[in-house]
Amino acid sequence: MIAYLVKIPVKAMVTLFAIVTVTFVATRLSGNPIDTFLGDGLTAEGREELIRYFQLDGTLLQQYLAFLRGVLSGEFGLSFIDRRPVTEVVAERLRPSAQLLLASVALTVVVSLPLGVLGAVYRKSWVGSAVMMLAFAGYAVPSFVLAIVMILIFSYWLNWLPVVGNGSFLHFIMPTIAMSGVLIAALTRFTRNAMLDVLGQDFIRTARAKGLSEARVVLRHGLGNAGVTVISVIGLQIAGLAAAGSVVVESIFSWPGIGQLLVNAAIMRDYPTLQFGVIAVAVAVVVINALTDVAYALADPRIRLSSA
Amino acid sequence: MTIAADPAFAAERRRKPRRADPIQKVAIGIAALLAASALLAPLIAPYDPLAQSLLSRLRPPIGFERFAAGHFAGTDELGRDVLSRSLHGLRLTLALAFAGAVIGLLIGGALGLIAGLRRGWVEDTIMALVDMQIAIPFTLVALLVLSLMGSSLTVLVLVLGIAGWEQYARIVRAEARRLSVQPFLEAARTAGAGPVYTAVRHILPNLVSPLVVQFTLALSNIVILESTLSFLGLGVQPPQPSLGSMVGLGRDYMPTAPWIVLAPAALIVALTFSVQILGDWLRDRADVRLRDR
Amino acid sequence: MIRLMLTTALALMPLAAAAQEITVGAANMAPYLDPGRDHSNVGSQFYYNSFDTLIDRDHHKLESEWVPALATSWELVEPTVMELKLREGVKFHNGDDMTADDVIFSLNRMIQATFPLYVVRAKDRLGNFTKAEKVDEHTIRIHAAREEPLWETLISLQQIMIIPEKYTKALTGDPNVAEDSDYEAFALAPVGTGPYKVETFQPGEKLVWTRFDDFWGDRAPLERVNVVQIAETASRVTALKTGEADIITNLAPDQLSLVDSDPNLKTEGSATALFHVMIMNQNHAKLKDARIRKALSLAIDRDALNEALWLGKAVVPSTHTMKEMGALHQPDLVTFEYDPERAKALLKEAGYDGFEITYDTAATYYTNGLLAAQAIMEMWAAVGVNGKVVVKDKWSGNDPEMMTRNWSNPMYFADPFGSFGVMWAPNGPSESEGRYNTDADFAEKWERFRFSTDVEARKAAYVEVMERVKEDPAVLPLYRPFESWGMKASVNWAPLPGHIPYVLDFRAGSISLADS
Repeated sequence: MIAYLVKIPVKAMVTLFAIVTVTFVATRLSGNPIDTFLGDGLTAEGREELIRYFQLDGTLLQQYLAFLRGVLSGEFGLSFIDRRPVTEVVAERLRPSAQLLLASVALTVVVSLPLGVLGAVYRKSWVGSAVMMLAFAGYAVPSFVLAIVMILIFSYWLNWLPVVGNGSFLHFIMPTIAMSGVLIAALTRFTRNAMLDVLGQDFIRTARAKGLSEARVVLRHGLGNAGVTVISVIGLQIAGLAAAGSVVVESIFSWPGIGQLLVNAAIMRDYPTLQFGVIAVAVAVVVINALTDVAYALADPRIRLSSA
Repeated sequence: MTIAADPAFAAERRRKPRRADPIQKVAIGIAALLAASALLAPLIAPYDPLAQSLLSRLRPPIGFERFAAGHFAGTDELGRDVLSRSLHGLRLTLALAFAGAVIGLLIGGALGLIAGLRRGWVEDTIMALVDMQIAIPFTLVALLVLSLMGSSLTVLVLVLGIAGWEQYARIVRAEARRLSVQPFLEAARTAGAGPVYTAVRHILPNLVSPLVVQFTLALSNIVILESTLSFLGLGVQPPQPSLGSMVGLGRDYMPTAPWIVLAPAALIVALTFSVQILGDWLRDRADVRLRDR
Repeated sequence: MIRLMLTTALALMPLAAAAQEITVGAANMAPYLDPGRDHSNVGSQFYYNSFDTLIDRDHHKLESEWVPALATSWELVEPTVMELKLREGVKFHNGDDMTADDVIFSLNRMIQATFPLYVVRAKDRLGNFTKAEKVDEHTIRIHAAREEPLWETLISLQQIMIIPEKYTKALTGDPNVAEDSDYEAFALAPVGTGPYKVETFQPGEKLVWTRFDDFWGDRAPLERVNVVQIAETASRVTALKTGEADIITNLAPDQLSLVDSDPNLKTEGSATALFHVMIMNQNHAKLKDARIRKALSLAIDRDALNEALWLGKAVVPSTHTMKEMGALHQPDLVTFEYDPERAKALLKEAGYDGFEITYDTAATYYTNGLLAAQAIMEMWAAVGVNGKVVVKDKWSGNDPEMMTRNWSNPMYFADPFGSFGVMWAPNGPSESEGRYNTDADFAEKWERFRFSTDVEARKAAYVEVMERVKEDPAVLPLYRPFESWGMKASVNWAPLPGHIPYVLDFRAGSISLADS
């Protein structure tokens, strides 16, 4: 058990280091960023001068060592474009991303748990089938299609909902739904199947036999027990969503979050921002993954024994 | 999140009948229709998907005012035929998905087989790679790789191939491990069969049905990934149509010419939806254990 | 969670727009704000509201009519020296008085630039100036190396708008020395003398101006202006319709009807003083033969592009000239034409064997850029050229492998030198990027055009310069794009003819809000 817990942070550090290095090498191999972020109209000497000014003139190894020294001393450099410390640039973006993530998780839980329970209880009727079709649809519809169709209807045709940014409550509605689609599908299925497994077990029969009301049996005993599995699933899903799902949704809705920042930084070749942004996201994912691992290990003796 | 990793499917499978229900029948029909359209696109598309007509730009589909004769699904911002572009886009999207799924199958299958047959550090390393692939959000990686490397069809196909290899690796490794302790393999080995022979003769046949199922499910996921990347401008490059890039480039015209976006968007959903149900049905029929680990 | 969302919503809910406050939805927000370092189409939107030049012009007029700004009068004391009297009682946004030292500092930071990002900008347009010096507290002199025909024009450039010396130097490090990092910091916290001060600036996202009450000139008509970036066209239109924005920028022609059909909204637009151009690499091995480049140019039906993509509202030029250039405007000169038959003949003569010719374009940077690129490929195909669009966001104009691509030639100031000259003069960016060559003959013609003090001599020299461009083409101006702004019907604003492209001028006399 202890060995297992020690292994988690070590694994996390190795993963992080690998990600940082790969990002660094990938960025440097993709050509000189000056041509992208300063663009046209430079004379040859001007270009040379700027390459020196932005410290892009060393060899790959020199630049990498300088970068590692910076990382170790907490200096991540200035954005090529804003000329602000990248830590500041990225920090500004964390809050909107976190807000959207939390809103999506909240919506997912509120929608999926009841749907999952309904799907399990009425699995033989049309209600159960409808729930399962909905879950299928959630997987099948890419988030960008969902977002685009919502924008078309609610913004362009009806002019009800704003499309850009995170200025108000109304701004949250479409991005939250777009981001939650896949999550809702996944969690509804997990909940339904966890409920089916639990409802088939002896203690439920006992509870029913004791004459408890069906609602009480299902919600208290059924969901109460299925909940353990369900909650651990949510943890895993958040990790994936923390970076991946949000990139697409944030770019569509111009959400000032970290996903949009990363994509723009990559397109503009703003290496310092890109590198620190990737580190920030990787840390978030690795930490969430590690916490989930720990939670599993603590909660479930079978995992603890088999993994150790 | 990929479907094969979802234990729900395993649970559902046990409860479902093996004959196709009506919804499955419809979905399989749609999948077949889409596949046929993609294959025959050059024959059935009414126009060259790249042919422009600057004088009849942004014309609506049949039944609307200003409809341009012959362009049943309307024309796009350069006067190109939306129906023809959608059909060719579907063809390209499906071709990319197939290529990606095959690459994933080859990489994952090979690594999974090696991991299953050879224990020790080889297996540990491969499984660490699998874990890493699961832990890292792949959409983000794909986005960064494509925006840094610049998008070409080669890079795109490789990225799509790497997207799902770990699922195959897990399936193949589990099967190889399970079989390698079976008495008949021990017998074969003592009879002097080499590892390659063993793999080809005894392990692969047992893997056909789980791999077919996984391949089908992966197709749907790769279609989503490809469309997303192309939508963001990082996948298939214009003027070549893919379903995702049609939606992405048509975005600016949504308020005035929504058909440019709606036609390919509907095809994407029809494709992913029907292929997923097809995959699920195949799994039911094959009744294989996908979640061995 | 829901509570968190609600509190956020309340905190961020935009207040009902009070009178004298507007919100602008801009396609692009600048990543930094420093008029000296910037020459982009993004930045040019913002500087005129917050900064002043020494000499300004009446922007309501197309012809240059110089008006006093931070200088009240100016005269040539020698052919190469101009003396300017400074306005008294001018304050910077931070409360400092503007002094002759501030003016000298602002000018010399560009003219004698050491900060690399200034050096680049200073060379291509301010190269003839050698220094600025203080005569007394209210008088300064600017020295030029050679007689300068464009004094007022150059002194009214955005790049030498006036900034505060003390404030800038004190931003980082030693408060008495101008370090590079001071200029970097200034670009995030800009201070000028204009009618609006920058209250909030989030690079790439948002800019808030508030009225500067101590402004030396006419009081700003607006109390507060919020500029937010809304990158997608369709989203900007929606923001206008839902009332999130009062003005939106960069409305593509295809979207005009959407705004005009709404009785509460309207559009204003003009053919911007900027050319979208196609450039061709003279030094690419396969394009060395001028006949091939001529054919590529002759094959493009620019009028058809205008009709189809710009609803006929763009302006297709016959040569590299604009009406803003006053006496130097030469619309009768024909340098660029559409002649597919000659294109075919030239290709045949040159022995073109059908090799692929690439045309690079960014995905979204130029309005209709990708569409025009694809349409041009069709036009090329019609004369037998095998063209291919390559979408890349990276600038490829300095890549030896670049064959052709799109670009823009803005009018940085109202003279052919401010448009063609900045980009195509000898040793300018096009030549030093290695895709364009000039020789002694061209340089001589260019010098005669640039420095002749007689207008007719300059015009004649420009005709000769254009003749060289025609013989061995490296550029084809496609059109002046028709840029539009959408706004509420109650907003009285329109782009003024005397500005460089894209300026959002909200000064007194340029904007007003109808009472509604």
